[in-house]
Amino acid sequence: MTADGQLPRWEVFKQDSSNKAHAAVGSVHAADAEHALLMARSVFARRPSAVSMWLAPQWAVHEYTREQLAEALAAPGQQLAAPAHYLVFLKTSDRRTMAAYEHRGEVIASGANDALRAAVPAELPLGVWLVEATAVIATDPADAEPWFAPATDKRYKQQSEYAVSVKPQPAGREGS
Amino acid sequence: MTEVPVAQKAAAFEARIAAGEKIEAGDWMPDDYRRQLIRMIGQHAHSEYVGMLPEGEWIDAAPTLRRKLILVAKVQDEAGHGQYLYHAAETLGATRAEMLDALLEGRAKYSSVFNYPTLSWADVGMIGWLVDGAAIKNQLMLAQCSYGPYSRAMVRICAEETFHHLQGREMILTYASGTPHQRTMAQDALNRWWWPALMMLGPHDADSPNSPQLKAWRVKTKSNDEVRQEFLDEHAPELLAAGLSIPDDDLYYDEETGHWRHGPIDWAEFWRVVKGDGPCNAERLAARRAAHDDGRWVREALAAHAARASDRASE
Repeated sequence: MTADGQLPRWEVFKQDSSNKAHAAVGSVHAADAEHALLMARSVFARRPSAVSMWLAPQWAVHEYTREQLAEALAAPGQQLAAPAHYLVFLKTSDRRTMAAYEHRGEVIASGANDALRAAVPAELPLGVWLVEATAVIATDPADAEPWFAPATDKRYKQQSEYAVSVKPQPAGREGS
Repeated sequence: MTEVPVAQKAAAFEARIAAGEKIEAGDWMPDDYRRQLIRMIGQHAHSEYVGMLPEGEWIDAAPTLRRKLILVAKVQDEAGHGQYLYHAAETLGATRAEMLDALLEGRAKYSSVFNYPTLSWADVGMIGWLVDGAAIKNQLMLAQCSYGPYSRAMVRICAEETFHHLQGREMILTYASGTPHQRTMAQDALNRWWWPALMMLGPHDADSPNSPQLKAWRVKTKSNDEVRQEFLDEHAPELLAAGLSIPDDDLYYDEETGHWRHGPIDWAEFWRVVKGDGPCNAERLAARRAAHDDGRWVREALAAHAARASDRASE
């Protein structure tokens, strides 16, 4: 348990298909990595669009909105003993979507502020998440089939299974 | 660095909203925007969570394996939707533990509609068609919300909720054209769920004090009455086409406007149910408290296991 009486929070990044990027979909609270993966599958992979998930404990995720970027970019870099590896997620649009922060690459830097300077493109994105790579846990590619296939088999969860039509009667006062 | 005055921050915030930008967790926002969102998202999350109960009671009694699989999947979805929403509220600084305590202690509201009993199997279908049908109209509106995490949770929920709506509609259409007993069962369910479904979209605009500010901030993009009208215009003609009668003598189609009009809603009943005195309020909270208490040993065991593993790792 953490100080606030809850199990630790893990951010969940789901990949919908092999040609798409992992993207932030929400979070789960879980005691350890194994529990977190099971929770994430139950919460975020009840439908077919999932081939891989990454999870990171909340302390390893550094979030910057557009508002916060300017200040963070100007801040002095932290001095770490050794360079660290960060996954970079960018938000580039305000369009209607389920997942706005998408994986765009990796940087190696000596702290989050240095990583930010390395990660942020010249045209400022709407938001940046940096995730400490050593803290990330991932679904095992060898388990992808048994892990995600059951959602695909359950056709009755698809709206296309209920293509029933009903013809509205000519409008009029009911019973008249 | 000089501190930017609040008025200037508020003006910049409102300009962002007007430009259609999404506000994200770390952005500056008015305290009241944050407070209203935590209230709304929390109530919405609790509704998903309590919403598992009325239908969950029927899982054991589902008439076929197919209907049982559908119902299990739907109840699982409601649990998941609650999780998406608790997450969205958490990004604003609320904690899941606080929100859950507020629900279990009866301090938090949730949708009035879940305080009505499910008396027959056809209620499961009617809840899907009407209650989820009404919920989707509201959720499609909230998917356009100015707060990014809430909007994204809504987009995900809408995609899944359509299955809930359509499976209910299919079930009721099947019964409405089935045996006399099935038709009676479908009609009885409609008689009991019609008014609670109309009410669940909230008080009339004139009695909805938070609405103008929420609309100005694009938290809501439509009023309660506008969403209720969309629900009515879709569902009234379909229910009638299915051969069912809607329990409202004043219901009619207004040729001039192209909209259906309903009779007066019993708001005294609505407020009674919202304030805790509906048919099942006590039962619903008791069921949630029992589930929370029964799960305590699992949470404690998980925490103990994780603590021991972490001690071993540090040895």
